[in-house]
Amino acid sequence: MNLTKLGMACALTLGMMTTAALAEYPDRPVNMIIPYGAGGATDISARAIAEALTEAAGTPMVMSNVTGAGGATGSVAVQNAKGDGYTMLFARVGSHTVNPAMKATLPYTLDDFRFVTVYEINPVVCAVTPASGITSMDDLIAKINEGGVSYSSSGVGSLLQLAAVMVMKEFGIGNPLEATVHIPQKGGGAAATAVLNGTVTFICTNSSALAGFVANGQLTPLLVTTPERLNGFDAPTAAELGKPALEQLVGWTGIAGPASLTDDVATKWGEWMATAVQDEKFLAVMEKAGSVIELMSPEEAKAFIDGQYQTFRKLVDDLGMRIEG
Amino acid sequence: MSFIDNLMMGLSMVANVGSFLALGTGVAVGVFAGAIPGMSATMAVALTLPFTFALQPITGILLLLGVYKGGIFGGSIPAILIKTPGTPASSATVLDGYPLAEMGQAGKALGMALWASCTADLISNLALILFAGFLASFALSFGPPEFFTLMLFSLTIIAGVSGESLLRGALSAMLGLLLATVGLDLIYGTNRFTFGNANLMGGLNFIAVLIGLFAIPEIIAMVWNPKVFDGQKRSMGKSWVSFADYRRCFKSIVRGSFIGVFLGAIPGIGAAPSAFLSYSEARRTSPNRDKFGKGELEGVAAAEAGNNGVAGATLIPLLALGIPGDVITAIIIGAFMIHGLQPGPMMFILNADIIYALFIGLIVSSVFLFFIGSVAIHGFKYVADIPRGVLFPAVLVLCIFGVFAVNNSIFDVGVMFAMGWVGYFMLRYRIPAAPFLIAFILGPLLEDNFRQAMLMSGSSPVILFRGPITWFFWALTVITVFAIIRAGIKATRRQGPLKVESQT
Amino acid sequence: MHDRTLHIQLGIGAIVAAAFLLLVAIPVWVSSPSNVPNIILSPLFWPWALAGLTGITGFGMILTSIRQPAATKPEVCDVDDAPKAWGRLASIAAVMAVTMLMLPRIGMVWTSMLVFAVTAFLVRTNHPRIALTSAVLVPLVLYAFFAHVAGVAVPQGDFVRLP
Repeated sequence: MNLTKLGMACALTLGMMTTAALAEYPDRPVNMIIPYGAGGATDISARAIAEALTEAAGTPMVMSNVTGAGGATGSVAVQNAKGDGYTMLFARVGSHTVNPAMKATLPYTLDDFRFVTVYEINPVVCAVTPASGITSMDDLIAKINEGGVSYSSSGVGSLLQLAAVMVMKEFGIGNPLEATVHIPQKGGGAAATAVLNGTVTFICTNSSALAGFVANGQLTPLLVTTPERLNGFDAPTAAELGKPALEQLVGWTGIAGPASLTDDVATKWGEWMATAVQDEKFLAVMEKAGSVIELMSPEEAKAFIDGQYQTFRKLVDDLGMRIEG
Repeated sequence: MSFIDNLMMGLSMVANVGSFLALGTGVAVGVFAGAIPGMSATMAVALTLPFTFALQPITGILLLLGVYKGGIFGGSIPAILIKTPGTPASSATVLDGYPLAEMGQAGKALGMALWASCTADLISNLALILFAGFLASFALSFGPPEFFTLMLFSLTIIAGVSGESLLRGALSAMLGLLLATVGLDLIYGTNRFTFGNANLMGGLNFIAVLIGLFAIPEIIAMVWNPKVFDGQKRSMGKSWVSFADYRRCFKSIVRGSFIGVFLGAIPGIGAAPSAFLSYSEARRTSPNRDKFGKGELEGVAAAEAGNNGVAGATLIPLLALGIPGDVITAIIIGAFMIHGLQPGPMMFILNADIIYALFIGLIVSSVFLFFIGSVAIHGFKYVADIPRGVLFPAVLVLCIFGVFAVNNSIFDVGVMFAMGWVGYFMLRYRIPAAPFLIAFILGPLLEDNFRQAMLMSGSSPVILFRGPITWFFWALTVITVFAIIRAGIKATRRQGPLKVESQT
Repeated sequence: MHDRTLHIQLGIGAIVAAAFLLLVAIPVWVSSPSNVPNIILSPLFWPWALAGLTGITGFGMILTSIRQPAATKPEVCDVDDAPKAWGRLASIAAVMAVTMLMLPRIGMVWTSMLVFAVTAFLVRTNHPRIALTSAVLVPLVLYAFFAHVAGVAVPQGDFVRLP
């Protein structure tokens, strides 16, 4: 009886194959891979733009969270996909500049992806608890020189880890890896909790992850990496503290396809994104998360990502932070 | 503003059709989604999130909370009916719920699951309203050393769910602990048993392992010997939980609820450990302890009380500190932020009306859960009447869809199949599956917190004894281990050397 | 299977597994950075500890079972058609393997229909008609739910795509 079934399925298959003619892109839903978990900054950003994108593209955008290994699992799913534009990735600073800079074992490189845009920038904020008695970067640096200071991150190879190291290096700590202890946590929420309950001394992460704690007076911001002061964060900018190089240290979200992505798909995406980022609902959500909307063309996006990658890579190589195993 | 003013303000925010509709819809969606294996409460909440963008803050958040609460209960429906836990939290419910269904008492088990869930939910909500401040500061005193000792204590649960032989239970736990090491190392980011495969770097997907371990072996067993299942006809019968049953299990339900409240208040533990802890405590103190694992109604009650007790309590760190305790609360925090609300101590001052509105909504949600849950049970109970020759293939297909949906990964379907064979092997060698699961959940927490504690102290073990909380759990662990050994020796004396292996 | 035989087999299995982990698997498949300050922080520490404990559990099983009397009753097989049962077991394993190959190629819906039909046949369903109808309907309903209600990108394969 299963043979009959098989035969039926085959017949059906053949029958319907003829109808599936080649149509203009996009003639079916686009699968958008979010390489991080639900509720995170990437997820909120992706789901906020999904509706506007669906409208602009005229085809449903199906959001799929593929989580694991600091964004690597989802990224690989897109790396191995066909370049027909039906599988795209929400690339993030962690998965596409920090991870490639830090992990020798990563199963992909930046060349495996074709970026169509970077649309959102999140500044980085460093913060401590009021109970620590630290009120400025100078205090923190003095404390680090005394010893016994630690910082949390959402895992090895995350922006949080690299941000803390980069900030310390800029502020004149010779070898941040030896001067302080890195205590990785499982995810960004746990990393923030670790500062709050005194497991670690400080944290450097995206402003959106800390906005609530700062507004509630649970954390004191010490530094923001935007050129201008950030709304809701009573802290000096990197430039004010004389470290303009830290302005490179920002989180971002972009959209990428596999390297084989065709030109006309990339062009289409450029048009859709230009419309989608105008959407008021999307802008409102992003503004509340403390993000800056900055739409980049594919070329600008590539230059921006490569620049950040080089900066991070140099830091990683100088300090011997690269993970080989 | 006084308490009464806030309460009135809150009431005026909740007491409208929109809020009740949102809450009701949420609970209904949650129960339905939770009842589909693979569609966990987390996924249901994530899918509902975009709909809340356009709603009033309080309506949107009540919608999400409804989905959350419904989802946690909904998971018990497939756990009891088809041995496929819809959510990780309901895996403890399988232990006694499925045997009950096998005996034609699915209705009773489902009814008890609902009553226990609603009771625990109510207790959890009351704890949130009355003790949020106290429990939040308690939660903040949980650093890696405290976590480590709590996990160590929780691992003693394994002795309680090992069934006839402690050694086989230990072997099962070892297997779970070993499989949980797959993935990237937390502290150094290096590979462990990943074989260069990106899909393994994130570790084995929990739901894939869970379904593989419970549902698939059942299907393979039927393939091995279809005849055994031939004659059996499981129908719901007229079995329904009675008030006497409820009163009998009431102590376990309350105990489970409090375990849930405490574990839920501590960020990062989740509902599954709480369900198992509650289950093992109920078993330890029950006069019918030998019936646990073979279809004891109290086991279902304890497990469901344990996991629903967490639901209200996870909102304690969320509202009082702005800390998400798990993925679901992380999404709910996202919803707060999107509406420009920042949960934390200041919210109790700045937006006290919203807080009180939420409290009222939560209490109402327990009532909604009771009614919608009853309707759902009556709808889903017909599953028990489907002949197995049709039901089992359908479960297999459902598992394929569900497991794929969790992380959009075909690889996970493969993990489920592979774990199915592991589970079948364990079934044939009479190795219990529950210790495996507990170890799989707790193992990584134990290891990570141990190493984090060592990082904090510069590898000095003294930190593991740093305060009253750690001492408390050390003492508890020592007492429990002692009790297990003593019970073992006693049983050996009573039964002679024949059964030595089962208690040592 | 008698408890004694069972435990001796499991015990030997556990010891072999522990030895394999300690000698081959952990050195080859668990990597550790060279600059770990303390052995207890190393990524290797936990797997080592677990492998050791597995071995100890194995020894424990063998030791306790030696003290037991040997099985007196002959083994009773739980199926009356053992060779056929093994054949069915092999078939369901094959079904799973084929499923993994077919999922990305012909899509989840069509694969599921075949899986349903073959499994129903393997468990010798008493209701072949209902089973066959369900084999077609269940995957379609699940597809409709997961793809259109839950918004999951159900794999569609290269040939026939459902709306």
